[in-house]
Amino acid sequence: MSPIPLRRARKSRVVARAAAAMAVAIGLAACSSAAPATQERTGIILGRAMDVTTLDISRSLCDTCQIYNAAVYESLLHATPEGELEPLLAEKWEANADNTQFTFTLRADAVFSDGSPVEAKDVVWSWERLKNLAGSPSYFMAGITKVEAPDARTVVATSELPNSAFFNIVSAGYTGIINSDVAAENGATADANAASSDQAEQWFLSNSAGSGQYVLDSYAEGSQLVLKANDKYWGEKPNFTDVTIKEVTDSSAQLQQLQQGDIDVAMQLSFDALGQIENAPNLTTEVVPSPNFVYIALSPGKAGGEALQDPRVREAVRKAIDYTSVIDATVAGNGEKQATGVPNGFEGTEGLPLPEYDPEGAKALLAEAGHGGGLTLQAVFPTFTIYGVNFATMMQSIQQSLGGVGIQLDLQPLEYQAWADRLGEGIPVTAVYFAPDHPDSIQYFQYFGLIEGSVWAERAGVPVNPQQQQLAVAALSQTGAERTASYTELAKLMYNDAIILPVVNPQYLLASSADVTGNNLDITRNLDLTRIKFNAG
Amino acid sequence: MTLAAAPTGTPAVGPDGPGGTPPGASVPVRLRLRRFRTPSIVLGAAVVALWVLVIAFAGVIAPYDPYAVAGPRLSPPSGEFLLGTDTLGRDVLSRVLHGARLSLPIALATISIAALVGCVIGAVAGFYGGIVDSVLMRLADITMAFPSILLAMAVAAALGPGLTNSFLAIVVVWWPIYARLIRGQILSIKEREYVMSARAIGMSRLTTLRKHVLPHAMTPVLVSATMDLGMIIILVASLSFLGLGALPPSPEWGAMITEGSANFYQWWIAAGPGLAMVTIVLAVNFLGDSLRDVLNVRTRVR
Repeated sequence: MSPIPLRRARKSRVVARAAAAMAVAIGLAACSSAAPATQERTGIILGRAMDVTTLDISRSLCDTCQIYNAAVYESLLHATPEGELEPLLAEKWEANADNTQFTFTLRADAVFSDGSPVEAKDVVWSWERLKNLAGSPSYFMAGITKVEAPDARTVVATSELPNSAFFNIVSAGYTGIINSDVAAENGATADANAASSDQAEQWFLSNSAGSGQYVLDSYAEGSQLVLKANDKYWGEKPNFTDVTIKEVTDSSAQLQQLQQGDIDVAMQLSFDALGQIENAPNLTTEVVPSPNFVYIALSPGKAGGEALQDPRVREAVRKAIDYTSVIDATVAGNGEKQATGVPNGFEGTEGLPLPEYDPEGAKALLAEAGHGGGLTLQAVFPTFTIYGVNFATMMQSIQQSLGGVGIQLDLQPLEYQAWADRLGEGIPVTAVYFAPDHPDSIQYFQYFGLIEGSVWAERAGVPVNPQQQQLAVAALSQTGAERTASYTELAKLMYNDAIILPVVNPQYLLASSADVTGNNLDITRNLDLTRIKFNAG
Repeated sequence: MTLAAAPTGTPAVGPDGPGGTPPGASVPVRLRLRRFRTPSIVLGAAVVALWVLVIAFAGVIAPYDPYAVAGPRLSPPSGEFLLGTDTLGRDVLSRVLHGARLSLPIALATISIAALVGCVIGAVAGFYGGIVDSVLMRLADITMAFPSILLAMAVAAALGPGLTNSFLAIVVVWWPIYARLIRGQILSIKEREYVMSARAIGMSRLTTLRKHVLPHAMTPVLVSATMDLGMIIILVASLSFLGLGALPPSPEWGAMITEGSANFYQWWIAAGPGLAMVTIVLAVNFLGDSLRDVLNVRTRVR
């Protein structure tokens, strides 16, 4: 979620928001229960607030990117909703005994959208580029020293250290395979210095080069992302001729548009909307558990975060949050507490302590740390609603409970893009969200833990913890109960660090027109477009 | 200042020809005030006075703390919460009342500073003329070439969100209006006989400007400022609505309307601040309009 900033006029987003607000007003005025035309619909329209900052698969890291990347590109393996791996571009995969060498055999019939075959060299190129761009998703390739193509259908990846999670990792959409010839012609490179020499980010905003069911038709920032079916697709025919992801920023606008049939799926409805649509005959709703979470991140090592260098202060912040109130205010109670940056139910979370609201304990800790007289922290967060959680509401609720123990939180909401830019500089207190990219818990330690290459160790300005580093390395060489124990230990250390403070693990509200079946929340694809379709007839 | 005093001796009741009654005319105060007693001025002044009272006593009349959770979230209006509660369970009425303490003073401060800056620049440009005039007025033209809300948004976005910054943004957008207005006034006044006489007896340019020109040019500015006040209130709220103004959790009206727009079916969250804005803006516009008629100031062309 540290998108590479495309410094565009922020104004346009604001204007778009104003326009969206106006559209809502006009929508309300013209509020008639116009049912969507059901005959022969072949294109689906999804409404969501997009967090896209780039469409370059190897630079992207965002929830909307998960949908896009999985639709347009394909990874070697695919994770089923149960978390099992199944073949996608690879038909066979095996690891050596100590999990340091991974051999994939590619399908013979897979082709890119230009008709050329998907070959081992494309896999090598794509993974090397992913690693060498050193962007937000590069951590998926952490520790991979070599990727080779002994022949056109065989890929061998070598890891410096055992990596029992590698097969899970390559089910993440971000490891999808790019048509290397086409991309290279347009300025992309996988060289070691790709981070500075790759010129293709702009090209990827209007072109795609994958083997997936869809190809990019057009993208207009702040407006819509349009995919059309890849007519050369090698596998099962896509369910839609085109897929439009329409930028509908707030929950109420999504609700309006869903009710009017302007969108088929509303992806970020607030739970407060549930009462309005639960019994509507033309809509389908379902509340499902999710592996997503929203968290507060503390950055002790960045300017403005000095007071947070004392772990007692961070612990006090955790104790000062009135979780029940926040979960009530944000998702009307449809959410759970979560211990640390690993979602409930993932390997290593069993038996972790859940955060408890304890204002007296928080005050005592603050007094002990020399902040008995109070403390002011700056909180910069995106004006965003995700998983039904409106960040402005959440932060005001947290501000209130922190105020109760003498921590004054100065709130500064920013447009998503502006916030993403700021995140690189470091923000003392911010609010972010996370959805899994693959089924293995290691992603959370690699992203949130104090280990080498971790995104949040860097953002928080906190040094690597050798104990965590060792445990992460050890876990990847282990299997079964042993590995679970290492993960649990790591999770406990992360809990004690109190850098990442999950606020809510929300349930997810699937809401769509009743003409649609198979609406889903997918672990790697966010919304799996192969499972959702229009009702026949 | 006697040379141009009262061209006629008639007490000024109602419009009395271009120029109006010059300041300093010796008409009894009661008579001079009588012409202000029109229904729309009285109504406007009454509503404004009401809001001033609200500002003064918001802490006393607001039933709850505007920042604290007062009850269950999203409660519709009821006897307990006259305007309902918002997403966090704060009382909307209390927030609206406290919001007046932000919206009105900020609008007043903005208009005063913009008028002050505009008047100084316009007066200098008009009185000195020549290259000074050209440079200052082209600057004003460039600023006015942009739609005010867009320019204000751009400036506020560049400065970062916050009420102080939106105040600055609006001043940047609004000063040229007054600069143009006062420059036009001064261009016509500076050719008057009494100004020339003052110069002829050796009064310096600056003193002439200050003592004999500016006082005669101020009436249109005051009227214009009154009329603009409503627009500024809306502009401040618009910037907050767009997330460029007030920071949460301040109960600024525009920001509250944003919160309301995120909860469409809980109409009361946006209705409270919306109604508050309607009343104050209407009242101020009534005042401005009637003042213009009574003082017979030419409507400026924008």
